[in-house]
Amino acid sequence: MQLLDLRGKLDTRSQAFFRHRRIAADRNLITNLEGRWMVLSDADFARFATGGLEDGSALKAELSEKNFLREGWDEGAAREAIARRKGFLGYGPNLHVMVVTLRCNETCVYCHASRADMDAVDTDMSKETAEQSVDLALSSTSPGVTIEFQGGEPLVNFEVLKHIVHYAKEKNEEVGKTLEFTLVSNLALMDEEKLSFLLDHKVQICTSIDGPKELHDKQRKLPTLSSFDAVSHWIPIINQAYAERGLDPALYHVEALLTTTRAALPRWKEIVDTYADLGCRALFLRPIDPFGFAGKTKRTVEYPRAEYLEFYRNATDYILEKNRGGVQMIERFGAIFLTKILRGEDPNFLDIRSPAGAGIGQLAYSYDGSVYTCDEGRMLAAQGDDTFRLGHVASTRYRDIVGHPTVRAMVIASNLDSQPDCVSCTYNPYCGIQTTHNHKTQGSVFGRMRESNICAVHKGIQDYLFGKLADGEPHVLEAFERWTTIRSREHFLHEPSGT
Amino acid sequence: MGTTAIEGIPEDVARVDLDASRAILDVDASLYPLEALYGAAYVFIDRCYVFLDRPDPKTLRVVLTPKSLDGDASAALRAMVGELANELVSAAWRHQITQENRAQIEAVTMQAIAGAMGPPSLDDLEDFDFTEEAFEDPLGIAMSWEEKYAKKKEEGA
Amino acid sequence: MTELRFHRALYRGEAVDEAIKTFDRYATLGRAEEDDYWVVRIEAASEARERRVADELSNFALGLTIRSRSA
Repeated sequence: MQLLDLRGKLDTRSQAFFRHRRIAADRNLITNLEGRWMVLSDADFARFATGGLEDGSALKAELSEKNFLREGWDEGAAREAIARRKGFLGYGPNLHVMVVTLRCNETCVYCHASRADMDAVDTDMSKETAEQSVDLALSSTSPGVTIEFQGGEPLVNFEVLKHIVHYAKEKNEEVGKTLEFTLVSNLALMDEEKLSFLLDHKVQICTSIDGPKELHDKQRKLPTLSSFDAVSHWIPIINQAYAERGLDPALYHVEALLTTTRAALPRWKEIVDTYADLGCRALFLRPIDPFGFAGKTKRTVEYPRAEYLEFYRNATDYILEKNRGGVQMIERFGAIFLTKILRGEDPNFLDIRSPAGAGIGQLAYSYDGSVYTCDEGRMLAAQGDDTFRLGHVASTRYRDIVGHPTVRAMVIASNLDSQPDCVSCTYNPYCGIQTTHNHKTQGSVFGRMRESNICAVHKGIQDYLFGKLADGEPHVLEAFERWTTIRSREHFLHEPSGT
Repeated sequence: MGTTAIEGIPEDVARVDLDASRAILDVDASLYPLEALYGAAYVFIDRCYVFLDRPDPKTLRVVLTPKSLDGDASAALRAMVGELANELVSAAWRHQITQENRAQIEAVTMQAIAGAMGPPSLDDLEDFDFTEEAFEDPLGIAMSWEEKYAKKKEEGA
Repeated sequence: MTELRFHRALYRGEAVDEAIKTFDRYATLGRAEEDDYWVVRIEAASEARERRVADELSNFALGLTIRSRSA
């Protein structure tokens, strides 16, 4: 069916606002303002589009119930749904990325982090800067604050990491936030003493696994050891430690991230199996991005996004098969979209929301005290582009940081309802763009979505997910249901002792 | 100016001057508001010298001279013209969307920034500049007692 | 001598003036007005230098014009 076939018969009076996209033969996805959706056959879409719905038909009833018809349109329901999706607008940055050092013991081909050599102690965050960073973070209007330790390799500056944990908990007694800590580490410098501190102080641990040992080691080089051996040594120890503390292994375990390079693309099965063998239940199939070293090594690591999407589909199909076989695994990228699609809720993944979280949902604190809209903004500064710098922890007040004109520009630019293409895209209710990515790749924070790798990936993943939803296979729907069930990991929450 | 056409594009719309290493794009002024022209041109200002002209009332002209050119100059200039054309369409459409959706965009932006900033603290209020007259006060209603009567008191003393 | 012609509908006069002030240490700059254009004449030791000053001055004037519109 082509829309042109319906020209002359199209009705514009019976439908409430909707967008549509043909996702496959005989499959037309429609979404509305508040993010309700249906997949219609060509015949049903034609009935909907031409005002030819039969009274009393199941199709008309479902369209009405999901608020696609003007007659009986439920404004209150639409308003409530939109408010629920945009609840994050009511408060400020909850994620505070603290780069405690640029020093790193690993060299990764796609390094995000503008790393420094292990003797570059001048790239360590000082305790004074750390305290000022915590003070700024706890000034956020968000009721919950997550401090995420990044680097370089944050374990290199463990003394300051510990200091931040102690200082933040102490300050929070007065401030009263719900506090969380997360560590992003290659685990190669982990030891029993460090692990004991992290476990005792409930710091969530996140690491990277690029796939089977040979691939991981090739992309993430340690001078003398195997980086894969280091990470695979510690993951089961940490998971065992959680279990010994009585924590549910399904909920409490080391989280691992994948950076998909060109070399990884044909090895989707091995990658998923590696994660499963290591007991990693969540896999985030992230494509490569243009920041940090990846910009320089793109000839060897980059790839067309169509190839990434093929990788994504293969890997996720395999994950779903594993789920069917009793091995419960989540694909996080898909889970983020599915939570919005199936639950009408926003999981607040800051790069996939409208407006995006840069500056209003997250801040990044460099080792030298400079504050940026996000970690990508910090990386651009490390390469000489200060566009996303908002100020300094020692001298810039919180309100001047989040009220900075750059933040305002990014809020406007990442509002999908101000973006060509996004404004009329069927995935508008679920999607988001990254203004730093636009700036880096296309020269402005607005960018041009038709030419954006991020848009291509988001559309491709959502096409895949809606195709699966339309297929309706029970084991897939059951897995998707589990993927979108948000269970709070309360063990990691630090409340003031007075509460 | 010795220019050559770009394959697939009429020469009166776009052409390259290989001797001067620049690309020229002429567009219909009625299709592209000035905001779109500036928005699109500005995207190139870090990697090109950008010159705007209006050779006649119906035409806007953009001349792009790359600051550096590696490899096949003709291909690079062609790609640049294509990117500029895409950026112009994007900027023009964005301008229209912004005008049509202005209320929504402003409301969301205000809510996002206000939510992040929160109410001002006493320290913030201390830095606010209240000296500018916010409204006219011909009857002196907003004047403090001291301002209103200070002179009379001095005269009486 | 290199001549730049800034169309009055596209460039602010103040932006062109500011650009002239900024670049007059690098070349001899002259200014004239026509009905539709601000004209800047550039003389320097070589054609290449004139071209360079012209290019940078143009970008500067454009940048200031755009910034003044958004202020």
